[in-house]
Amino acid sequence: MLSAWLGATLSGILLGLLYGLAAIGLNLIWGVMNVINLSHGAFIAVGMFASYFMANYLHLSPFLGVFLVLATGVVLGMITYFISLHRIISAPELSTLLATYSVSLIIIGLGTFIFTTNPRAIDITMGSVSVGGTVLPMTRILTGAFSVIFTLWLYYFLYKTWSGKAIRAVSMNRDAAELMGVNTTMSLALAFGIGVALAMTAGALTATIFPFTILSGGGYELKSFVICVLGGLGSPLGALLGGLILGLI
Amino acid sequence: MDQPTLRVESLETGYGEVQILWGINLEVPMGNLTSILGANGAGKTTLLRAITGILPVWKGKITFQEEDITRLSPHERAIKGLIMIPEGRMIFPEMTVLENLEMGAFNKKARANLKKNMEHALALFPRLEERLSQKAGTLSGGEQQMLAIARGLMAEPQVLIFDEPSLGLAPKLVIEVFEIIQKLKEEGITMLLVEQNVHLSLAITDYAYVLAEGKVVMEGKGEDLEESEEVKRAYLGV
Repeated sequence: MLSAWLGATLSGILLGLLYGLAAIGLNLIWGVMNVINLSHGAFIAVGMFASYFMANYLHLSPFLGVFLVLATGVVLGMITYFISLHRIISAPELSTLLATYSVSLIIIGLGTFIFTTNPRAIDITMGSVSVGGTVLPMTRILTGAFSVIFTLWLYYFLYKTWSGKAIRAVSMNRDAAELMGVNTTMSLALAFGIGVALAMTAGALTATIFPFTILSGGGYELKSFVICVLGGLGSPLGALLGGLILGLI
Repeated sequence: MDQPTLRVESLETGYGEVQILWGINLEVPMGNLTSILGANGAGKTTLLRAITGILPVWKGKITFQEEDITRLSPHERAIKGLIMIPEGRMIFPEMTVLENLEMGAFNKKARANLKKNMEHALALFPRLEERLSQKAGTLSGGEQQMLAIARGLMAEPQVLIFDEPSLGLAPKLVIEVFEIIQKLKEEGITMLLVEQNVHLSLAITDYAYVLAEGKVVMEGKGEDLEESEEVKRAYLGV
């Protein structure tokens, strides 16, 4: 009985960390740019597919490939920013909602056309670890650990580097940041890029646990919204905590 | 001496369809304190927004250190040393005082001298030193203005622009702000000052421009303008 409780709690925590990571991307973009990124779920799905193809065709372990996904995500996110958001960033929220929603429709439309909606899964077995009588798959432990690492990395980036501080300054007062010599357009693009990259990273990690289709992102997007509300806007650690709460429930 | 660092020629601009500035000519000589005076709605803030690049220029030219900067974005101008301390302070409220000062030194040139400039700024504003790790949003209005000035100094400005630095401050603090500006002037920093407080500005300024309805209606040395009946009538309400 006790071991069942322990097992449920532990796997809840590990899953919660992953949910938290997914939410951080949404949280960052919302907090910095005041944009609700409705393409968040679609990018999570893109991350899942990226991880899948790297594992199947490049024979790259998803836990190494995730770094590649992160880097690609930043670039992809920045391109998306310049194509879809840059011209309307000062417009009322409805415009950015519509813009990110259309990005989502485009990704899911293309994805459905190319990959169909057949479920896929990454074939990965890494053994398991026994903790106090419950057995936890290694993949789950690793996804939890990676989520923590990426969150800490984001924290370090936002609070200790010049680019990160610039992003925070832009989120507080864009004009003042510009007057201090910050290229605020690039800062916004970078913030969006990192937000998208974290969504894709979360997707890439999720794909090692659960089967997925191009439509799977939606559910995680919804969870991310809930976590943003629970954990508060603008704080990566808050989002991770919100994720933990959701994971345990 | 008296080489113009910043020169504005026949500047015209406005918001949307509404033209605010109608051909402004202005010079800020090196090492001088230049003031722009004028009633509310005369176009002072609009002029500063055009000079710093927040507002695009319709016609005319802005030259900074013999380089045409009319089409540069605000951050490119800031990197060249054209630094504005904006109206309403615009500090970063969720950052600590220390981080705010660091943000001032964002451009690469100022970053290299961060330590030296920080010591200088804190010597000028000892009260900030006690509050370095405090969030800037929790400072009082006067302290926030001091922080905004200190942040501007961290950027190693070639020209430092003040937009209404005494706005919303208690009289005692207004005097303090002007003492700081006087001190900076003695250090040889080139400054452009926009102020409602005509008396205090004219007392310390080298040269002043009077703006009305988007045009320069008068200009002259500080002491000369202070004597002028016309200025008094138009801007002091006497």
